[in-house]
Amino acid sequence: MTEILRGVFLAPFKDMAGSPAFLAEVLIGGVFAGLLYSLVALGFVLIFKASGVFNFAQGVMVLFAALTLVGLMERGVPVPVALVLTALVMVALAFAIERVVLRPLVNQEYIILFMATIGLNFFLEGFGEMVWGANVKKLDVGIPDRSFMMAGIQVNQLELFAAVTAAVLVAVLAVFFHGTRIGRALRAVADDHEAALSIGISLRTIWVIVWSVAGIVALVAGIMWGAKSGVQFSLSLIALKALPVLILGGFTSVPGAIVGGLIVGVGEKLGEVYWGPLVGGAIENWFAYVVALAFLLFRPQGLFGEKIIERV
Amino acid sequence: MSDPLLEVRDISVRFGALLALDRVSVEIARGEILAIIGPNGAGKTTLLNVISGFYHPYEGRIVFEGRDRTRLAPPDVAALGIARTFQNVALFKGMSVLDNIMTGRLLKMRGSFLLEALYWGPARRQELAHRAIVERIIDFLEIQAIRKTPAGRLPYGLQKRVELARALAAEPTLLLLDEPMAGMNVEEKEDMCRFVLDVTQEFGTTIALIEHDMGVVMDISDRVVVLDYGQKIADGPPEQVRKDQAVLDAYLGVAHD
Repeated sequence: MTEILRGVFLAPFKDMAGSPAFLAEVLIGGVFAGLLYSLVALGFVLIFKASGVFNFAQGVMVLFAALTLVGLMERGVPVPVALVLTALVMVALAFAIERVVLRPLVNQEYIILFMATIGLNFFLEGFGEMVWGANVKKLDVGIPDRSFMMAGIQVNQLELFAAVTAAVLVAVLAVFFHGTRIGRALRAVADDHEAALSIGISLRTIWVIVWSVAGIVALVAGIMWGAKSGVQFSLSLIALKALPVLILGGFTSVPGAIVGGLIVGVGEKLGEVYWGPLVGGAIENWFAYVVALAFLLFRPQGLFGEKIIERV
Repeated sequence: MSDPLLEVRDISVRFGALLALDRVSVEIARGEILAIIGPNGAGKTTLLNVISGFYHPYEGRIVFEGRDRTRLAPPDVAALGIARTFQNVALFKGMSVLDNIMTGRLLKMRGSFLLEALYWGPARRQELAHRAIVERIIDFLEIQAIRKTPAGRLPYGLQKRVELARALAAEPTLLLLDEPMAGMNVEEKEDMCRFVLDVTQEFGTTIALIEHDMGVVMDISDRVVVLDYGQKIADGPPEQVRKDQAVLDAYLGVAHD
């Protein structure tokens, strides 16, 4: 009994203190993974805020963006041009989704819109593979996957670059959606469609904007994940990791998506390395879901979600 | 009425088999307060929804400031200077009262996103200018004390007042109020009446309102339109409408004292 307690409460912390450089490396790995989760979660949050739609296809959008980028580069398009073209494809996709999926379904039950995004999910998956092929592809945007030593800590160049990009993107989005006219309009639309319409906000414009932004966020996530582990179908599965992030951070909060992503990323890496051996490893796969469950029990609106106010 | 602000000409609205509005024509003159009354289900809210673009009539025309605008969508109607409130208060419940009213200014805001994001230079001046106008409205409607409160937490009467404030923030030419006094106590009703009268006086806004309280209607309106089963059965000054036999039969007959 004491052995187990010692293993859970003492030994891991002694290990951490014993080798701070290794701990730092674990933390950095966790932050990197966490930022990627945050990016995917951000895509969800933006769309959910603006339209109340839970976009099941967000993960596939990541895959689709990465596939498009790789496909263009394989055909000899230079990296910067391919990036711009892919971003344009994602914006075009946003217009198409608004026109074909959202507009005809406006004012329908949320569950119907949710079903529509499931359809969108499979369409995008099939369409992407039809156009660009289904085999695993290597994505090389010109950042070497090499490590260097900094203050005794091993740092991967690609991860560092990805982390900085994600942080900048997240900061820009946070400012954009909180300080500006668009931000206020977005919050208005999220709150009450009728009232938003009556003060002159066009739902269609807002939808195209958020789906475009979600598409570009998906592109960035796709680049990072793809550069790390290749562009393949499993990319779309990171959407599943974004779910616990959303529950942690709250479905409607941009900062929540970021903090939630970091907690999940760092938490699962720490758990895996220091507590994993106790139960034979593989904590990383379920850690996030257990945390999410705990949150559902005690704080269902998440860390930063809007308080659920019900008048009775 | 030589130059009406808004002309609704022979509009009909159908929901399936139900004829919600049947060839209704209404004119609203600049600067007047028009009351729309009628029994439940008479088509009053439908009329307001047609004017503000939420429904489109299958026949008839709507002319605002001399231009036909029958088929505009709600945001475009708002851009023309028509603001409205809703029967069941449609506020942004999670936002503070101040933010709610600020959203009323969205159509008036222009400028670069980048500057706005940095809250710098012209963007900052613009935000402050809008803030000043909003503060004036807050003072006018006497809701200073609740400006930081989330709108969803306010009692019903105050929510209605905040909704009016948001509509006023758009500086509308025409203001449509759907039962602005429903569910209010006598005191709140008196306040609301005073505000409605002051709005026309101070801002020159034309107002069309739906109201059930006949006392209120007689007190504040310049003209009354009566709807019954989707048809207009009377249109004139309050004293005249009050004595109209068709109106008495359809509507006042029950509650007449």
